[in-house]
Amino acid sequence: MNKINRIVGSGCLRATGALLAAALLAACSSPSGDEGQVITQLELPTDVVLDLACENVGVHPETCVLADPANPFVTTTITEFNINDPDAPVNKFDLAAALPPGPTGAKARFYFWATALARFPSGENQFFTAQALHELFDANSNAISEDELVRAQALKAYRSVLDNFFGSVVVFECCADLSPDGQPVAFPVALNVLTADSLHRTERSNFRRLIAGDPLLVLEQLLQWGYRYTPGTPENNFDDGVVEIIQGP
Amino acid sequence: MTRAFITGKTRLMRALLVGWALCFGSPAFSQADKVDVVQDAMGWKLQVNGEDFFVKGVVWGYSPRGQNYTYNLWGESDDFIRKVLDYEFGLMKAMNVNAIRSFSMIPPRWITYIYREHGIMTVVNPLMGRYGYNVGGKWIPETDYSDLRTRETLKRDMAEIVREYKDVPGVLMFAFGNENNYGLSWSSFEIENLPEGEQQAAKAKYLYTLFNEVVRDGKAIDKNHPFTIVNGDIQYIDLIARHCPDIDILGSNVYRGPSFTNLWSEVKAKLDLPVLFFEFGSDAFNAREFREDQRAQAMVLQAQWQEMYDKARGNGAEGNAIGGFVFEWRDEWWKYLQTENLDVHDKNASWSNQAYLFDWAKGQNNMNEEWFGITALGLPNADGVYTARPRMAYDLLAEVFEIDPYANGKRPTQARVEGMNLELFELRGDVRQLKAQLAETQSKLQLTGGEFRGEMALRGLDQELEEDGERALEFSDGQMLFLDFAFEPNQNLSGQFSVNLLANVANKRPFEFTYGDRGRPIIVTGRDAENVTPGNNAGNQTLTIRDNERVEIYDFNAKYQGELFDVEAFYHTPRFHWGYEGDQFGLLRETTDIPSIDVFNGKAPEGIEFVGKGRFKGLTFLAGPEVYWGANPKAIVKYDFSLRGIDLTFIHSEDLARLDDGANATQSTERQTRQTTLTAETNIAKGVKLELGGIMAATEKVDETYDRVGNNGDIILDQIDFEDTLGFKAKLSFPLLGTQSYVSVHHAGLVADGGQHHKVYGVTDPSRLPYSGDGNKREVEAGMRLFFGDFMLFPRALYRDNLVDANPNIPPGINNGVLSPGTNPRDRDTDPFAVLGNREARAGELYLTYDPTPETPFYDWDNEWRENAGFAFDIGGTYTEFPTITDAHLFFNEASNSNASFGRGLPAEDVWAVSSRMAFNPGPGAKYITRIVRGFDQPTGEPNGGTRDYFELHGKAVLGRHLITGYFKQDAWGDQDFYRQFNITYPEQYKLDYAYLLGGGGPISDRVSETRASKIGIRTIYRTYDENSLPEEFQGGVNDFGFLTVAYFNYRF
Repeated sequence: MNKINRIVGSGCLRATGALLAAALLAACSSPSGDEGQVITQLELPTDVVLDLACENVGVHPETCVLADPANPFVTTTITEFNINDPDAPVNKFDLAAALPPGPTGAKARFYFWATALARFPSGENQFFTAQALHELFDANSNAISEDELVRAQALKAYRSVLDNFFGSVVVFECCADLSPDGQPVAFPVALNVLTADSLHRTERSNFRRLIAGDPLLVLEQLLQWGYRYTPGTPENNFDDGVVEIIQGP
Repeated sequence: MTRAFITGKTRLMRALLVGWALCFGSPAFSQADKVDVVQDAMGWKLQVNGEDFFVKGVVWGYSPRGQNYTYNLWGESDDFIRKVLDYEFGLMKAMNVNAIRSFSMIPPRWITYIYREHGIMTVVNPLMGRYGYNVGGKWIPETDYSDLRTRETLKRDMAEIVREYKDVPGVLMFAFGNENNYGLSWSSFEIENLPEGEQQAAKAKYLYTLFNEVVRDGKAIDKNHPFTIVNGDIQYIDLIARHCPDIDILGSNVYRGPSFTNLWSEVKAKLDLPVLFFEFGSDAFNAREFREDQRAQAMVLQAQWQEMYDKARGNGAEGNAIGGFVFEWRDEWWKYLQTENLDVHDKNASWSNQAYLFDWAKGQNNMNEEWFGITALGLPNADGVYTARPRMAYDLLAEVFEIDPYANGKRPTQARVEGMNLELFELRGDVRQLKAQLAETQSKLQLTGGEFRGEMALRGLDQELEEDGERALEFSDGQMLFLDFAFEPNQNLSGQFSVNLLANVANKRPFEFTYGDRGRPIIVTGRDAENVTPGNNAGNQTLTIRDNERVEIYDFNAKYQGELFDVEAFYHTPRFHWGYEGDQFGLLRETTDIPSIDVFNGKAPEGIEFVGKGRFKGLTFLAGPEVYWGANPKAIVKYDFSLRGIDLTFIHSEDLARLDDGANATQSTERQTRQTTLTAETNIAKGVKLELGGIMAATEKVDETYDRVGNNGDIILDQIDFEDTLGFKAKLSFPLLGTQSYVSVHHAGLVADGGQHHKVYGVTDPSRLPYSGDGNKREVEAGMRLFFGDFMLFPRALYRDNLVDANPNIPPGINNGVLSPGTNPRDRDTDPFAVLGNREARAGELYLTYDPTPETPFYDWDNEWRENAGFAFDIGGTYTEFPTITDAHLFFNEASNSNASFGRGLPAEDVWAVSSRMAFNPGPGAKYITRIVRGFDQPTGEPNGGTRDYFELHGKAVLGRHLITGYFKQDAWGDQDFYRQFNITYPEQYKLDYAYLLGGGGPISDRVSETRASKIGIRTIYRTYDENSLPEEFQGGVNDFGFLTVAYFNYRF
């Protein structure tokens, strides 16, 4: 046997034995019923301390939340509206609505929307992830101290709405009692406006402002991100705000 | 002398005689020649009708480019056969050839034709099981000459051949076998018990005693012709002396270089028989210098013939030479690999012989099987006959054959042979070679041919036709041109590529998806950036692009042959799997169905392959962006080696990136992964083969989590462990009561995915057993081939369990801060594994096959074109119970450029199918093929719409130049895979295609050559619609039917 044959041959022989032995061992075992963790029912987290699984968790296109052991929704099927299959059942908003309200549900809310975002990138999922981070920031901050890490994460998530999903809308339904046919009326709202409004005002969510101080600082931050925001007016229920992309030269 | 007999007739008389012989010629009306072997004190001679006859012969066969040993000239029309024979034997006659040996059995009337028209005699040479034999209707690939039934069969068949040919004018003699002493590879317990050195001799004894019995029986039937055998050199000469007392001549194939050395004296001493060489000569390719070497071939032949003349009777030596058949008349391009590269003149040397010193080098092969011709295989002439380009040896032998070794003394003969003007012969050969090079592809870059395709398509849908009449007919036309180029900048590098040019593109979708659709108009809708605001569509603009992708490289292939490696770069040219090279787990999938890839403008396979030689022999490295259809960019290394008689193969495959597009538009892409396998194969007893293999796959998935439903209904979160990456398989093939049987077991961990399962008969295997290369299974399969005459019965069964079942759909819920995550069908993107084609199954299958001509096996990939039986068929069915559901399949969503899940799995269900394929060959130039399928089966992705109960009838008729193909399908999926993936069916589908073949452009021997043949034709597709059909056709019930008619013209040049 020449040199290459000797080298490769001997290596292969050892590998042969190892591989065949390992394969035979594997043949004698298989997942048994009592292995693994039973997850039939899981207590949702109620605390407000969030350990970030990675630097950009909750910010598109990062999907590390799906590997976060603290995420209870890793295996949960969150179904979205599918334009190609409009009759398929959608459970996303039902599940979101069933999450505990208030600060005790904020962490679960973050995991829920971040999971939805990782599975199905959309402006809607990104916006509600940002809102959940905003809620956590609010719940975990007081006049003396703020959760700087979560604050920065929430800003990144809001900015991602503008950068990655600028034209997206979220559709609300309301006012069935006012509708002629008694059906809820659907109306779309631009997520870029909702994002800017969530940063600019506190009244809609009642959350602490992510950019403290004068609201003008929010406009300045948006300008730095490349967007010009003209806030809404009270007369129009703040729905007439406009966000524009600052054009290059 | 025979030639004197012929030249003594007038041309008119000869024509009348031949015509009469062909019309009415039967042995009863013909006069056989009397051929004798005579001996006197000066040696041996052969005499035909009392005249001395020194055999100046060649080994002859007619193998066009693109064909192999299965090509049957005698199945062509009489007119064409006559053209071939007149061309071939006209050249031979001019060279003074007086006899031929052929591996094919030439029908008696054509032997007479060759003899009477060209004066050349023929040796009748049945090969007597050299390459297998049909015993009791069962094809035995390694003939066992010790088996009584085999012996009786061979004796009976050989005697029948002698009876058939004994009175045929033009028969020179009967010779049996072809180096059968080199093929004593059968084994039996009796022989295996002998010491190793005696085993071959024991087998040879059976062979030679049988030879003698056959010869003895033959001589009892025919008293007019000599009988001999064709031995490999003079191996076992002592056994021949002892066991073959009845042979008249020692026939032998000898490759000892320029001299036959001591063969003459040994034969004289031990046999005292005349010697006739049935093969000898030299190849005309210099493997060391990697070039055609006409001079070397001619020099070897010159020396050999001089020695044969020296050894003829009356020249003072042994006097036992009576002539020989030079191997061979013309190059055969199928010799290397035999079923591949049939239209390529391969330069691979496949064995080593030190006696041919002109190109021998230690450790290197130097015998080039495809270069033994004394003429080269040229292009077809106006009659469609492949021409022969004489080499230097042709001219040399023409003069050598003018010499009568009995008429001249030894010295004058020697002087004449030695005095031949070799330079002139060489010059002639070189000039012919140069002219051929100009005509062919041997220059650095040449346009070798091409193809023009033109078509006019007419398309219509029910409702539009009803409303607008003929105005609703949509007419379009298309034209494309292929230009084929070859290049060979030096002897080591050669290759070819084709360029495709598009003019218009006919709109045939959705009825047909064809190559060239890449050039269909693209409509782009965009908005002026200044008007980009939510809800504002005022700036929408539409642009139609009509000139996209007009020119592209269609395929490319280049091969560099070096000392240590052969390197081949390939792009969209067919590639075979490595199933026969130890790849038991099918890591390298076959990509030969180029027309199907063309439909989606795919370019697979793409890559580069290094095959080691010399000290790197056994090592192969393959890498590329898509080395098989749908493959991720990957690199594969393979090493084959042997240890104590066990063949071992190590393979590692590593994905380097992820494919960024679905291979066939809707086929999902696969996650980046890696696989390592080690396999072993050995024969452990007579006919008993054991194959073992281990796999380690997808180690990158270790620690990934997945959920499953436990035995008590709990939902469990689990993770992939190392042992889940391992798999093991074993297969035992063995004879059992005259059958060929096998049992295989396969255990594969959750992610121990292999690749393509290799069926017993490859791609034409009718089996519908639910094979899968994926992991997560325990599988047992068994089968048994039973033979009854020309019939074969093949029952098979497969049983498979999953280690982890598919997930049902359990909706999630949240109640009072408690999450019930539920579960849903997995998919192969977001989960480490999914239960799909590898689902639990219990399947049984039975197929009956009738094939009276095993030399064209019914399940060969090109059987549709090569089957030569008058009638052959198979019929059978498969029943499969799927007791559990599957997880969800994926598809490639072009809009999002990513995979998407169907979200639901396929239900538990029993499915079945029955099918039959029939081939009819009623006569020369006529062939009919039909295939019928009836089944109840599931889609391969979308479960909506349910399981289909369908019927298909496919047919093809070849009548001379008329080619008719078509099908009828009921409730069946459409032609492409995605129809079944999305469960799109039609109540009825009809297709009828008529083509008139214009000839030229090479033989039609497979699907590609049939597609690209020159022809003019018309085809129509008609289908009816229902809610299961493509929505754009059915349009919610608006259309009941649609059709497409295409008139087309293909011209290959």
